[in-house]
Amino acid sequence: MSETRSQVLIVEDEAQIRHFVCLALEAEGCVVQEAGRLADGLLIAGAGAIDLVVLDLGLPDGDGIDFIRAYRGWSDGPVLILSARTEERHKIDALDAGADDYLTKPFGVGELRARVRALMRRRQRTGGEASPLLEFGDIVVDLAKRQVWRKGEAVHLTPIEYRLLAMMVSHPGQVLTQRRLLAEIWGASYIESSHYLRVYVGHLRQKLEDDPAQPRHFLTETGVGYRFQTGT
Amino acid sequence: MSNSRIAVDRLSPRQKMVLSALACILAAIVASPLRGVLDPANIVMLFLLTVLVVAVSLGRNPAVLASVLSVLLFDVFFVPPHFSLAVSNLQYLITFAVMLATALITGHLTATLKEQAADAERREQRTHALYEIASRLAGALNDVQVDEIVAQFVSGEFGGRCRLLLGELAAEVHAGTPWYSGELARRVLESGQRQISREEGQVAYLPLKAPMRVRGVLVVQPGEAALLEGDLALLDALASLVAIAVERLHYVEVAQRSEVEMATERLRSSILSALSHDLRTPLTVLVGLADSIFLIRPSLPEPALENARALRDQATRLAGLVANLLEMARLNAGSVTLRQEWQPLEEVVGSSLKLVGDALGRHRLRVELPRDLPLLRFDAVLIERVLCNLVENAAKYSPADGEIRISAALAGDFVELAVSDEGAGFPVPESGQLFEMFVRGHSESATPGTGLGLAICRAIVDAHGGRMRVENPASGGGRIVVSLPRGVPPVVEAEVA
Repeated sequence: MSETRSQVLIVEDEAQIRHFVCLALEAEGCVVQEAGRLADGLLIAGAGAIDLVVLDLGLPDGDGIDFIRAYRGWSDGPVLILSARTEERHKIDALDAGADDYLTKPFGVGELRARVRALMRRRQRTGGEASPLLEFGDIVVDLAKRQVWRKGEAVHLTPIEYRLLAMMVSHPGQVLTQRRLLAEIWGASYIESSHYLRVYVGHLRQKLEDDPAQPRHFLTETGVGYRFQTGT
Repeated sequence: MSNSRIAVDRLSPRQKMVLSALACILAAIVASPLRGVLDPANIVMLFLLTVLVVAVSLGRNPAVLASVLSVLLFDVFFVPPHFSLAVSNLQYLITFAVMLATALITGHLTATLKEQAADAERREQRTHALYEIASRLAGALNDVQVDEIVAQFVSGEFGGRCRLLLGELAAEVHAGTPWYSGELARRVLESGQRQISREEGQVAYLPLKAPMRVRGVLVVQPGEAALLEGDLALLDALASLVAIAVERLHYVEVAQRSEVEMATERLRSSILSALSHDLRTPLTVLVGLADSIFLIRPSLPEPALENARALRDQATRLAGLVANLLEMARLNAGSVTLRQEWQPLEEVVGSSLKLVGDALGRHRLRVELPRDLPLLRFDAVLIERVLCNLVENAAKYSPADGEIRISAALAGDFVELAVSDEGAGFPVPESGQLFEMFVRGHSESATPGTGLGLAICRAIVDAHGGRMRVENPASGGGRIVVSLPRGVPPVVEAEVA
């Protein structure tokens, strides 16, 4: 593993869940700090040098969303939500408050590790060199020239399709809520017109996915938003 | 003064006539000793005064009688030849004519004036009474109190009885009511028009027209006196006051009820979410710990890993079951609010297939969605659950390498989404029984399941105004069809490229 090991903070009130999340993260080569309460979590996070926060939304001394809001005050480090709540609204609230991704309980260790890896990668990349050329599957996107190729052939995208693509590929692995996509691409007055977003994501899939009904890159997070994935 | 007037008002018409005649005779008796002293013209004045007094105190008809009687008495006792209707001097005929005319006109004017005064007074009384009942109705706390207030008012003003018919009109009428017709009351309720029936005494049916709708019917039967135009106006005013009071009470009740319902709702959903949290937490621990056995280094022997895998799979299945049970509980409790949005079907099919993932095993999957399907309005999370359940079902009940096909087609006002498999088909597909809770096609078969899946699907599809049916197509296998209403999708403006 690398010289500087990633520092991960887990804030979760259930000791057993903390325990196996620790195991999984240590297997990823992370150094883990634990907190069972929101206040303790904020203390540790405030001490600095945290690369990733894994956060349970239902904490005994407060709502996880409050933690995110406070944390975003001084850090833009990735936050992964663990939520026993199935209601999409809470996830959306957490994501809109600044969380990057979520896992719904129960979740497998494999899933957790994959998410953590993706979030870490992004953190490393933002720190490193930025290339305008992006490759995933058989697609190449040149963010500088605003051009897209698929299997070596140029793909024509409308301006909105391109903006949507650019926004999604620049947040790989991250869940983008409907609200955020609509507000940034169409403008604040379109926040309730989710069908625009859906139709345009459909266009992107038609143009860039092998099987639009079973997408590999432009994934739906049902009831929440979309996630771009470079693919396995 | 007012006492004496009320005493006069109580007299019957005949008594008034007698009184009128007596007054004239009295005038004649008073005047007769003065016959030699006074001019006949002044004696006429005395009679005219009498007519005036009669008109003021006894009304129009007695005044007319007094006029005629005065002329006769004057003729007989004061105009020569006395004690005879004959007249010696023909000039007296003019006196008679003028006297009669003056008496009649005076009597008429006075009586009219008096009637108008009485009318005004009555109107004022009624306005006052209406004002009073309005303020009392405003303070009424329930329908029973309204009923009492109205009954008091009607017996006070009309000396009759009344009946307030609200809401379940028909039920009340059936309870056996002798004096009014339920049929007529229902007609008034429907038409909102006042009706008056005249068989067996007068009965008025007044619709209670409130701002929102006709709230009921007020049936009034007056005492002896018939209802006049003024009375009807009063009754109409009463009816509209009662209507407003009843409507106000109705909305107070609605507000109270919805408050109680909201409290119940909050309690129910907080219990469900607590239950959901408490069930999911141990399941998360179970799945996670079983999973982390694979992380232990050095690796455990294969049989231990095999156990861990089985443990994880079972825990995952249990989690799915709990999710289904909780979902059913939420649907049954009616605490599900649909988050319906217009969206393409393709997307939810894709996300469901991704979610089903491993459960598909070696089944081949074919998705055939026409490109020109319209946007549909549905709650993606719930329809995703429907599709997951259907595909999992298809995988469970069909051969391991069989094909599962997802297709969609327009069908009138609906879009039909079908999941077909190559299994043995459904037993008795025509009965809707498969959609009942805890009913399984093949009971106690080796395939695991609770029989909740399809019941949840149907509850969700019902909530969307859709339909579900099972079929055994002639080509073999089974098929479940979900029809969702098309509605009118919003327009997505084409981009100006």
